Amino acid sequence: MLARVANNLFWMGRYLERTEHIARYLNVNYFSSFDAPNETSQSRQFVLNSIVRMVDDDPEKETVLFEKKVLFDAALNDEKIFSIKSYFRMARDNASSARDMISTELYESINKLHHYINNYSIEYFTERGLDEFTTYVSKAVSQIKANIVTTMMHDDTYAIIHLGINLERATDVIRIIDTKYKDALSVQNETDFATSYEWTILLKCIQSFDMMKRHYKKAPTSKNTLDFLILNPECPKSVMSCLNNAKCQIDYLNKNHHSLSSAFLIGKLRAKYHYKRINEIEIGFDKFIQEIISELDEICISIEDELFKH
Amino acid sequence: MESKKILPIFSSYKTNPVFYDEIFKNDKEIRDTYGELFKLFNEYKVDDFKLLNEKAKLSFLNQGITFQVYDKTTVEKVFPFDLFPKIITADEWDHIESGALQRSKALNLFLYDVYHKKQIIKDGIVPIELISSSENYLDQMNGLEPPGGIYNHISGTDVIKHSDGEYYVLEDNIRCPSGVSYVVSNRVALKRAMFGVFNNYPTCPVANYSENLLEIMQSVKPAGVDIPTCVVITPGIYNSAYYEHSFLAKSMGIELVEGRDLFIEKDFVYMKTIYGPVKIDVIYRRIDDAFIDPLEFNPDSVLGVPGLFAAYKKGNVTLVNAPGTGVADDKAIYTYMPQIIKYYLNEEPILNNVHTYHCSRPKELAYVLDNIDKLVVKPVDESGGYGISIGNKLTKEEIEKVKAVIKENPRKYIAQPIMALSTHATFIDEKQCFEPRHVDLRTFTLLGKDKEFVLKGGLTRVALKEGNLIVNSSQGGGSKDTWVLKR
Repeated sequence: MLARVANNLFWMGRYLERTEHIARYLNVNYFSSFDAPNETSQSRQFVLNSIVRMVDDDPEKETVLFEKKVLFDAALNDEKIFSIKSYFRMARDNASSARDMISTELYESINKLHHYINNYSIEYFTERGLDEFTTYVSKAVSQIKANIVTTMMHDDTYAIIHLGINLERATDVIRIIDTKYKDALSVQNETDFATSYEWTILLKCIQSFDMMKRHYKKAPTSKNTLDFLILNPECPKSVMSCLNNAKCQIDYLNKNHHSLSSAFLIGKLRAKYHYKRINEIEIGFDKFIQEIISELDEICISIEDELFKH
Repeated sequence: MESKKILPIFSSYKTNPVFYDEIFKNDKEIRDTYGELFKLFNEYKVDDFKLLNEKAKLSFLNQGITFQVYDKTTVEKVFPFDLFPKIITADEWDHIESGALQRSKALNLFLYDVYHKKQIIKDGIVPIELISSSENYLDQMNGLEPPGGIYNHISGTDVIKHSDGEYYVLEDNIRCPSGVSYVVSNRVALKRAMFGVFNNYPTCPVANYSENLLEIMQSVKPAGVDIPTCVVITPGIYNSAYYEHSFLAKSMGIELVEGRDLFIEKDFVYMKTIYGPVKIDVIYRRIDDAFIDPLEFNPDSVLGVPGLFAAYKKGNVTLVNAPGTGVADDKAIYTYMPQIIKYYLNEEPILNNVHTYHCSRPKELAYVLDNIDKLVVKPVDESGGYGISIGNKLTKEEIEKVKAVIKENPRKYIAQPIMALSTHATFIDEKQCFEPRHVDLRTFTLLGKDKEFVLKGGLTRVALKEGNLIVNSSQGGGSKDTWVLKR
């Protein structure tokens, strides 16, 4: 496989995953807040702030946020690099550059969503289209990922795409955890931090609420939620599960390389969290977030150097 | 001849006796070949047909079967597709196929001669001025032996049906003829939309083009290579024909590369893969000669590969089509095709040539300047319908402008009588009915070492504007599925 095309496929996977997470985050965070048990969690400013902090790495420091603008920026503003529209355009551009390598069904599903997003009325979206739009996008991305599994050869192409998806998923899950963790902290004067409603929203943002309940048979708390989303290898969206999958994919690619540093780095990170307890993470939460983001970045840079720069 | 009732969807169909209409013999009679097809169309109401049409368009858009046009920003467009197919009988096709193959073979021999002994010039058949003054003639190709002796591996021959019912060749395209992806896509779209239509028409497949193209590429592998690595090279995703490039690579199962994916080492070509460099043996290049190698041709090119031509000269890589083929699809050379065919193959041309006036010849120039209103003036080295002036559509001022342009550089222009391109039933969205529109047909011929193939079908291009004779997509044309009937 061409190094350039591998790069395209890796980023196609990353942007697909990122698009899905933002769409779901917008939907769940916005709609879950209406009947939140405490006043702050119900407040529009609180919800909008949470959205801005999740999607934008460097948000402008505005005292008052305007709902239509925040939602438009996060979803359909093509001048904002973090919008769903921008991320999906990049996913589609990368898919186009690797079009000869991917199945017709996969490309068609990507292209169809691209046209849906591009043709979606901005006016309708900001008035009453948020649920329709974000639900459609989430489902369509799931369909696209199903097409990757069912219509692509499970070879190095597949490994590269899923490497991108899993490393992006780990990063997005961490970002969402970080945002909701801070949301929970900011409402702790109204509600107990450990049993905050924000943990429920967090789990729903990552499509893990039902399975977490099934697993623990308890209401969400800070401890069981973080344990489930970070360390539980059976939760398909957990950081641990993403690292396990990424390890399988890099090992597949390593068969022909034998000495990829990226394989070593992924293995090392996986081992680190395999033996981690949630108490250790909770004690130094900010440090954990910074460390794991930096470790995931290091892995991505290493993959880029070793596989995409020939 | 059976007289058939005209359907409402055809109620405003008016044939023009000046043109050969492929469907109707006159306003009342339908040609035999299309009889069954009419029965089927009879089952559709206008609204049903509109819906089918919309579905077909949406399907092309969703699949990304599009081309890009530049109008301040890049716009992605669906190549307009008409659901009413062109039908060619087996006998008629035999004539077209043998004629297209004959021309391709003759052009290949001509190219070999032009870049070697130049015997046809010495024998006074083709004037040397036409060769030496051609912008597409490449000195660098002199004396080179292309693998398998093939220059024009892929030829696109544009033919029309004139008012006399005979096929004429409008031009030969042997640089990078495009459009074959639409031939295959149109067939898929028509099968999906109107599957019933095929029941009464045993039609030759077109999906076998790619496997034949790959075999042709493999047949011209460099000496000493056992199993060649073949690739398609594209200028990139923003090229107007990118869909076609990716289609070709995907349908052959080979890599689609860009210039930046390749590098040259010791006159061998390599592509950069995730597992390190992989040697390449055959390149189907969809980049013009001027841009394939900045060291040899246009130094500003960022699309090509520095050193590629040196690797080609050494025989370490095969380029499909060979560089320098443009000298033979120059429209001034076209005039000599009957003589070229006779000279190399000792055969009479199977397909007719359109009479052509060379503006480089003083007497013919004088005729052209006096009769522009009756002629089509074409630049010799352009493609895509660019630069063409159709005399009877020009105002007096425009005629004077065309005259001035020709006088400035007579070698650059030829002129032909305005050919009466046949008309074909085409659904017109705005009028919600079928009307006659002018069509031509691009055929695709492949030549390899000891192998040849003509795609049984082709791209029927249709000028969607009423009365327009230019069918190119860049000029607002559309296309139709083309059925070659089995015996």
